[in-house]
Amino acid sequence: MKSDIEKLMNGDSAFSGASREAEETLRLIAGLPAPKGLEDRVHMALRAAPRRGRVLAWREPLTRRNSWLRAAAAAAIAFAVAGGGWSVYLQVQPRQPAAKVVPLAPHPATTGGFDGASAMRTPQTLNGPVLTHAVKPHLMTSKNAKKSSASASQQPNEGKKAETQAAISPAK
Amino acid sequence: MSIFQLVCVWCCMSTSQAVFAGWMEIPNNTATDEARSQAEDAVLAELVDQYAGALYRVAFSVLRNPADAEDAVQETYLRVLRHRDTLNEVRDYRVWLVRIVWNIVLDRKRRAKTRPETDDVAELARVLPSNGLSAEQVAAAAQHHAHVLGCVNQLPAKEREVLQLSAFEELSSVEIASVLGITESSVRSRLFRARNLMAGLLNHRRSLR
Repeated sequence: MKSDIEKLMNGDSAFSGASREAEETLRLIAGLPAPKGLEDRVHMALRAAPRRGRVLAWREPLTRRNSWLRAAAAAAIAFAVAGGGWSVYLQVQPRQPAAKVVPLAPHPATTGGFDGASAMRTPQTLNGPVLTHAVKPHLMTSKNAKKSSASASQQPNEGKKAETQAAISPAK
Repeated sequence: MSIFQLVCVWCCMSTSQAVFAGWMEIPNNTATDEARSQAEDAVLAELVDQYAGALYRVAFSVLRNPADAEDAVQETYLRVLRHRDTLNEVRDYRVWLVRIVWNIVLDRKRRAKTRPETDDVAELARVLPSNGLSAEQVAAAAQHHAHVLGCVNQLPAKEREVLQLSAFEELSSVEIASVLGITESSVRSRLFRARNLMAGLLNHRRSLR
């Protein structure tokens, strides 16, 4: 039984000096005899000890023979307790009132107190308007831009032409 | 279902089992209970007679105080009494009991760390056997053993535990592994390290003298 450890301990001669002293000391202490009457004192302590020191005292250990009946009874009790608790929970739970719109009476204009300081409500325009129908994108190319600028510059001449035509036509 | 509800259901089930155990007790079971109780008492008494001495030595090797060691042995058997329903599941009573007393002893040692060490020379001289030695020789031997035990106390806990348990003739390396909850190879490697460290410590102390 002890051979493997003894082999390990005696195998290396380097340890045989110092560590064997420690082994001997520990073996000396481990081999000390127990005091006389130890067994009797332990017996007395066991006799004086309470036999059932548990909160729930089990009359008999659970066996397969009687465990199914106990399990069924426990399940029934647990079901009753859980069901009762659930029903209480449902009753105690506060009922949420149905949502309905209550028209508020217009605020009477009273003198004094806080005033709106004639502030106007600014609509929320951060998201911008949402287009409901598709719109053709109006792209302005460089050619179009030149045309538009040219037409803008020709417009005064055309106005002059129109004026001269108007002056000539009464003469006719 | 919330955890609270689950716990409630579990409590109800345990309570109801206990209640039904009382309600549904069949009169014939009392005789069976008594017989079982007597059998368990007989097993317990046998365990006390057989292993109390060995458990005392295990406890004393760590605590090195006779009164504390005896207390530890008594506490061990009280724990066994509390769990006597599981006695028939134990394979090796000796290893099982040594494991219980070992845990108790380590726990006590941990709690008593604030107290001074009881490895004084006078206590060892009183406890250790003096086979026809003179008083001076006994004192010198006690001093030597106290010195060695001082070195043992300096070892790391893992190595020290293996070294202390290896000193018991009745415990094999497999059983030491079972007591400590480690593998047999770990026992061997820890023992090797412990011996190395012990040799170093003892040689160092000698060189200081």
